[in-house]
Amino acid sequence: MKEKFGLHNLPEAPVTLETTLINKTGSWKNIQPVLQESTAPCTAACPAGIEIPLYFDMLIRGRFDEAAKILHESNPFPSITGRVCPHFCEQKCNRGYFDEAIGIRGIERYLGDLYLDKKWSPPDVTRDEKVAVVGSGPAGLSAAHFLRKKGYRVTVFERDQKLGGVLRYGIPDYRLPKDILDREIEALKREGIEFKTGVEVGKDISFEELKNSFDAVFFGTGAPLEREMRIPGEELFIKGVEFLKDVNTGKIKKFSGKVAVVGGGNVAMDVARSLLRLGATPVVLYRRTEKEMPAIREEVERAMEDGIEFKFLTLPVRAEKKNGKIELTNIKMKLGEPDETGRRRPIPIEGSEFTEEYDAVITAIGELADLSIFPEDLLNKKGWLDVDLRTTATKDDRVFAGGDLVLGPATVIEAIALGKRAAINIDRRINGLELKEFRPFEKVVEYKKIVLDYFMEEPRQKQPEVPVEERIRHFDVEEVGDYTPEQVQKEALRCFSCGHCNGCGTCWVFCPDMAIGWENDQPVFIYDYCKGCGICSAECPRDVIQMVQVRTF
Amino acid sequence: MSFWYNQVPMEENFNSGHLACQGCGATIAMRFALKALGTNTVVVIPACCWTIIDGAFPAHAIKVPLFHTAFETAAVVASGIKSGLRIRGKGDVTVMAWAGDGGTFDIGIQALSGAAERNEDIIYVVYDNEAYMNTGIQRSSATPYGAWTTTTPEKHPEDRPKKNIMEILAAHSIPYQATATIAYPEDFIRKFKKARDIRGTRFIHVLSPCPPGWKIPSDVSVKVSRLAVETRVFPLYEIEDYGEKYTINYWPKGLPVKEYLKIQGRFRHLTEDRIEYIQQFVDRQWEKLVLKHKLSHGTLDNIPKNVIYR
Ligand SMILES: Cc1cc2nc3c(=O)[nH]c(=O)nc-3n(C[C@H](O)[C@H](O)[C@H](O)COP(=O)(O)OP(=O)(O)OC[C@H]3O[C@@H](n4cnc5c(N)ncnc54)[C@H](O)[C@@H]3O)c2cc1C
Ligand SMILES: Cc1ncc(C[n+]2csc(CCOP(=O)(O)OP(=O)(O)O)c2C)c(N)n1
Ligand code: SF4
Ligand code: SF4
Ligand SMILES: [Mg+2]
Repeated sequence: MKEKFGLHNLPEAPVTLETTLINKTGSWKNIQPVLQESTAPCTAACPAGIEIPLYFDMLIRGRFDEAAKILHESNPFPSITGRVCPHFCEQKCNRGYFDEAIGIRGIERYLGDLYLDKKWSPPDVTRDEKVAVVGSGPAGLSAAHFLRKKGYRVTVFERDQKLGGVLRYGIPDYRLPKDILDREIEALKREGIEFKTGVEVGKDISFEELKNSFDAVFFGTGAPLEREMRIPGEELFIKGVEFLKDVNTGKIKKFSGKVAVVGGGNVAMDVARSLLRLGATPVVLYRRTEKEMPAIREEVERAMEDGIEFKFLTLPVRAEKKNGKIELTNIKMKLGEPDETGRRRPIPIEGSEFTEEYDAVITAIGELADLSIFPEDLLNKKGWLDVDLRTTATKDDRVFAGGDLVLGPATVIEAIALGKRAAINIDRRINGLELKEFRPFEKVVEYKKIVLDYFMEEPRQKQPEVPVEERIRHFDVEEVGDYTPEQVQKEALRCFSCGHCNGCGTCWVFCPDMAIGWENDQPVFIYDYCKGCGICSAECPRDVIQMVQVRTF
Repeated sequence: MSFWYNQVPMEENFNSGHLACQGCGATIAMRFALKALGTNTVVVIPACCWTIIDGAFPAHAIKVPLFHTAFETAAVVASGIKSGLRIRGKGDVTVMAWAGDGGTFDIGIQALSGAAERNEDIIYVVYDNEAYMNTGIQRSSATPYGAWTTTTPEKHPEDRPKKNIMEILAAHSIPYQATATIAYPEDFIRKFKKARDIRGTRFIHVLSPCPPGWKIPSDVSVKVSRLAVETRVFPLYEIEDYGEKYTINYWPKGLPVKEYLKIQGRFRHLTEDRIEYIQQFVDRQWEKLVLKHKLSHGTLDNIPKNVIYR
């Protein structure tokens, strides 16, 4: 038997007999670290809440399938949003305060395109219930996809001859090639979604009939009506959405003369830029200033690069036909107090009217939903569809709605997000469960929590672009190109990975107590020995480790 | 891959349950040193914090033999152990003396000078926490100008500059010297591995933050070590070829010394003019070091600049 030495019984030459592992020095602490991931600002800013740092991490590790799955879980159409999204994520990217925001949209596009023709098919039909989706814009397609994934039989009704809504009949080819849209839709067809085109709900099939033949109905009918200007001579004007539809269907192939484009949103920009490419000379008339323009910032910049003339603080007040031309009388405006949208209200300047001659005038001053198909009792006092945006539920248990129909003119990714939200809640309603209310993320990683010492300034990777003089001569050449695989890797590596442990090892390397183990590329705390110094938490470059109170004295 | 520390061996030659304070820099330093040297090593430790850290009888924390010795004797005992091992045919064992700044700059300097002058085959590491910490934060000749210690209270803070131990050793013409600090694990480990494979006296000066002694919270040890380098208070460099060849390993950002001083309670009393005085001192020291690098290499271009140095 080994002799037991103690203080009363010291050996002649004291040599150690055991290791300090007998000292559970973890008992010294009153705070201890926990691995607690929180939300990155990009994720929080994305209407669909895409887990950006998570899929970037997989991408960097070369685990492309996992990366693509995470991305598609929140956004089934990354090849589309990867081209046209206003990238709310990049606007809030923490890296933006350091040097330049991460090229999130470019990476999304790259990964989306990589999987465009090899998406995973959802499970076979596992449910008896059937769901109808009205409208094949991004809201409807997203709802259909996620319902199909849950095992439902899904039928999409679309009044147009082709699928896609604004994606097909609004956004021009040079921004979103039809080929991309077609391939996204092919993938949905492979999923087993049934599509019925040329069927208008309210005309070919009534609201009631539809409701009675399905267990639930999702409405994603968009905001297809162009607002009216309510000025004399309005009947001489062309409506922006209709013009774009004619361009997108190939009905209009050429356009000449000087054309006034009234408005400052996405439709106005697409109309003006399309006109230029069709041979006309567009002039944008907008009643506020550049700063207040609701269009995606990039689009405004591109329109200006294209050389399109802008007349700000200008509002048409009447029009007359003269010698085959339109004589447009405008009034100059000035900016007053902010309105309910926070933008400064334009006020006409008395006596500032002036008249100009145009060959055509196209209006794009805002789009409205068509609510005529809905029964009265689904509308609210203002006459709008009564929808709880947190759940997409309407006052009818079996009717859900999302996209521009409920938001007014919004964006593709918001439509996708509401489509998914509807799918989740239709499933819950069918299963007799309480609806899930979506709320904004709570714990978002602030820039000051990033340990900047671990990063170096590095310029953002740029996607290739067709030169301006070249791009304005084509309609069907996509003006922005793809990142190369190397660029994607570089760009993903620039990401701070806010709030997501990417296994950098910083906590592990500095622990003075060997109290951090390393398993599956992640730290594991050994609380028996962690003394609670907090170095791991302070040094974690991305705010993943929080110190929590375990004892008070 | 996303793992950042590929030059840091996973091998752990140091057990948990040791008795260092929370956030002790000297502990992180030993962890890195033993990762680099491996287990074919004997460590010699004189009186200092590390006497305590390794644990009380019958327990012991590091996974290699450790010989406790008297305060002033680290270098000579290490030399003796190395000779003994060599005579017994175990000359391949690395012997590392690991002493505090008190045990090196002050009381142990004659033993160290003797060993270095004889070019004994040992690695001598001073883990420099800039005071006698184990006995309650008394000043040593490594305490920097302006610092508070219990023997240099705020009314009479340290009024002499820190002794330049690297230059003293360089004057002994030994084969290898280096500075290292805990915020740069890969640099640290590279230097210890390099030292292991050189014969003769190797001297490594490790700046080792001490939370209670420097009056910093335990979680800023690494940050303060990083700031010491980035402000040029403690540049990372090596001296090779028997005191001849100076190599700066990393070109610091050159942050104002104030950044380093202001986060430490031991410098809290410093007025702006004292901070300026320290800044000028640091600048002069840095300029001299840069000249030595230039003299050794004929260029400054080989110093890593604008990189994340680990
Ligand atoms: C010109 C233009 C450019 C835009 N550019 C961008 C951009 O760059 N980025 C961005 O994020 N967003 C952009 N938007 C906004 C974005 O396109 C919309 O927010 C989005 O398409 C809304 O999707 P949705 O599914 O709700 O509606 P929609 O895309 O409008 O789809 C609605 C579908 O429902 C069908 N439908 C309507 N009524 C019926 C009915 N009774 N029966 C059957 N089918 C019906 C329609 O035919 C249509 O196919 C743009 C919009 C326009 C108009
Ligand atoms: C000859 C002698 N004088 C005094 C002491 C008391 N003593 C033990 S440790 C120590 C301080 C050591 O300071 P330093 O070498 O800087 O190491 P640190 O404790 O700071 O790590 C002192 C003074 C001693 N052990 N032996
Ligand atoms: S740095 Fe990365 S994780 Fe952080 S906000 Fe930007 S993209 Fe998102
Ligand atoms: S330091 Fe790195 S490995 Fe540790 S928790 Fe943070 S991200 Fe993960
Ligand atoms: Mg000391």
